[in-house]
Amino acid sequence: MSVIIFLAALLLFVSLFSQTVQTAILYQQHRATATKCSDLIDNMLLNPGSPSSWGQTSTAPTEFGLQDPEFTEYQLSPFSLMRVSSPAGEHVFYKQPSATYVGAVAGLNNNLFIPATEAVNYSAALKLLGINNTYGFELSLSPVVTVSVSETKAANPLTLSLSVTGTGFPLSYATISYCLIRVALPTTDANYPAYTMQDNITTVDQSGSTQIQFPNVTDANQCYAFVAYAYLGGLLGVGYHERVSSTSEYVTPLIQDIQSQKVLLAHSFDLNSSGPTGASLKYNATFALLTEDYTLRELPLNASNDLSKVGIVTSGVGNPDVTLTLPSNVGILIVTYAKDQFDGGIMLMPWGVSSTGFSVSFGGNSQSQEWVATDIRQVTINHVSYQAKLALWSYSGQQVIS
Amino acid sequence: MMRTVEVLIVIIIISGAFVSASYFAVLPWPRQVSPVNLRRLSWTTIETLDSNYDLSRAAFATNNATEWNSLQVSLSASLPPNVLYNLTVYDVSNEANGGSLYVPEASISNAETLGITSDASSYLVASSNVTFNVTPEKIGENGGGAITLYILNCSDANGWWITGYTSQSLAQDLYNLLSPYFVQTVVIQSTSQLGQILNGTALQGENVQNAVIINTCGEAVPIPSGYYSSSGVGYDSPNNSYARYAYVLGQKVLQYNWTWVSICGYPLYYVSNAGLFPSNQNTWGIYGMQLVGAAGFNAFLQGVSGSGYSYNGTWITSDLSNSGPVYLTSSVIDYCNYYGIYPSIYQTATRALPESIINSNHLNVTTYVFNTATGGWDAGAIYRHMVTVNGTMQFEGGFYALGLTRTPDIRLTALGLLCDYKPRIFPSNYDSEGNSRLVVLQLGLVGGV
Repeated sequence: MSVIIFLAALLLFVSLFSQTVQTAILYQQHRATATKCSDLIDNMLLNPGSPSSWGQTSTAPTEFGLQDPEFTEYQLSPFSLMRVSSPAGEHVFYKQPSATYVGAVAGLNNNLFIPATEAVNYSAALKLLGINNTYGFELSLSPVVTVSVSETKAANPLTLSLSVTGTGFPLSYATISYCLIRVALPTTDANYPAYTMQDNITTVDQSGSTQIQFPNVTDANQCYAFVAYAYLGGLLGVGYHERVSSTSEYVTPLIQDIQSQKVLLAHSFDLNSSGPTGASLKYNATFALLTEDYTLRELPLNASNDLSKVGIVTSGVGNPDVTLTLPSNVGILIVTYAKDQFDGGIMLMPWGVSSTGFSVSFGGNSQSQEWVATDIRQVTINHVSYQAKLALWSYSGQQVIS
Repeated sequence: MMRTVEVLIVIIIISGAFVSASYFAVLPWPRQVSPVNLRRLSWTTIETLDSNYDLSRAAFATNNATEWNSLQVSLSASLPPNVLYNLTVYDVSNEANGGSLYVPEASISNAETLGITSDASSYLVASSNVTFNVTPEKIGENGGGAITLYILNCSDANGWWITGYTSQSLAQDLYNLLSPYFVQTVVIQSTSQLGQILNGTALQGENVQNAVIINTCGEAVPIPSGYYSSSGVGYDSPNNSYARYAYVLGQKVLQYNWTWVSICGYPLYYVSNAGLFPSNQNTWGIYGMQLVGAAGFNAFLQGVSGSGYSYNGTWITSDLSNSGPVYLTSSVIDYCNYYGIYPSIYQTATRALPESIINSNHLNVTTYVFNTATGGWDAGAIYRHMVTVNGTMQFEGGFYALGLTRTPDIRLTALGLLCDYKPRIFPSNYDSEGNSRLVVLQLGLVGGV
């Protein structure tokens, strides 16, 4: 009888405490995941990886890290981030099926494509970080300063509205350094598209807004690109806007080889075989970098020190590829193109993700996970302020008690 | 009846234990389970705000409302909306007993209190008018004997593959970069002075033994007229070549335990003396110079390794430019930060040396400046000749060959030597009175739980 009473009491004891103990264990597991999250984000951001220059080579890294090897602390490499493949990145085939390119980062027009063979994917990063099958992560880097540009009047004068906001507050009275790149379409068969760059500085108001007018833009079909840098108190953000008249045919830059800095200018018809062969576009390409006073300065694209390179891109497998070799500096490749004297446009490709303020997302999908720990850091990428956020979840069999 | 009472007592005890345990076993709040690392967030926010020196400038301009408004706007804009902050600047002053006194100067905040939990980071900023000094350790002064730095700046010799520079300008740059790290730096002004140190004669009372000699003439090497250019000494009459001079240089490097430095191109490819070769040119129109070719460096290796001289004109270097640039090793990149010398991390190598010279000449590489390229080619490394004395292995003689194409980046020469000798640098203190301020950023989260 005593044994029965003892067993009954033990059963009662275990059943009463099991829920409390299980909850405590769950808390411990969650706490361990949160600690791991904090460690892992520092491990990614304070370590350049191996080899330290893997972002500028075509070889696969043997250790994963995003720190800029030329700097210390939380300064990230704009090139390493180009090589990580975004889960939302679009895959395109160039002159199918000879080469596959993947959109490295998610941004306006998603026009930063790298060779699929050179992209570092999520599963490889998990293995290099030593958390394969134990944890999953999603790393996102978004600019601290968002510079939104919208067109409020098409011409006479061209009027652009700017709104500059931070993560939690408008960037009141921030200084704006901007550049309008106007495209001049060729008027004769012998000409190529040209461009003019117009720089200036202004300031936003208390709400972080301003309007900029360009009285010299009198044609509502004028193709242009507008790049603005907003800075205040150590924060720097980038925004841009573009208007093109040819939307069916355009030139897309594809990074052919990161190590040799070669970029392929592809006709849009050659992407996923989306159009006929033999269609031609004239182009004019130049490269600009951001100077210390936040203005764009052109750099030569070839050994002859010409600031721009012109030519013709023709769709079709048999037609020659057009390649450019970019400088090693972080900057923007500016490609103006023209189908005829009426239709054309302009395409900007960042060389280094920070040039046009791209957001970067890398890893798995945290939305579908049961319990996710997050941690954030402020980082800079080539002087542009970013916020890095890591979401981490564990695969070690955690359950939520209902 | 008794059993029923016992059961009731047991149930009461267990229930009481459960209630007591539940009362005292307080589980952490959800925010404590997965907290945002406020300390790290605070630190990285401060770093971002000071990335362009704006925070430091504001910390020393506490009376400037514009600066502080900008700082507050930046701080508010950079932090998530649910984060509360308090940023305080303290002036750092020194007390008589040597301690530091921190006096609050200014503060900004977006809330009266920072919630139940908060964390902070501190950051010491320096005034823009402060000059920080470092005191370099002199190589060899703490054991091993003082090492002299010789820089060849021979006015009667010409350079090759130093396009865009002169030997004199390179010598000046090297002097500025390296002389703080050496007990004595002697600039060799003429080929006759070079002849003196080859004889072991000090020019300014310096220690000739164990010296470092940097040849600023690129692929050419100054040759003294007279003894060192005479037949059978520096001149190989049967082969009509001055490769023998390179052999003598190798012997001297071994004898005096020198470290010979070639700053670019193929080492010892020409000999140069404007007086000795007034009508000779290097086949590219530079007079005062005589082609030696690949035989020069082969003879040098024979001299360094203690072998006998035999003329060997075999080309041994490789042009790596077609396979892409060569990259600094991670160790050297680390030292870039330490010594504050920042050449480009990748370079074009057209005269990389084969690894095979290591074994065939009893050499050991003490510092790889560039990663070894595929196929076993070294674009920049410091080689030292190994000898065994009384059963102990030691180095006698060495050379640093940078097989890069013209134009030379002299910072690579300086960086390679510093990486090999590793002299320490001692920075001055940061907390000098009136020149330093402490910035403390304390962060909290909105809400109680």
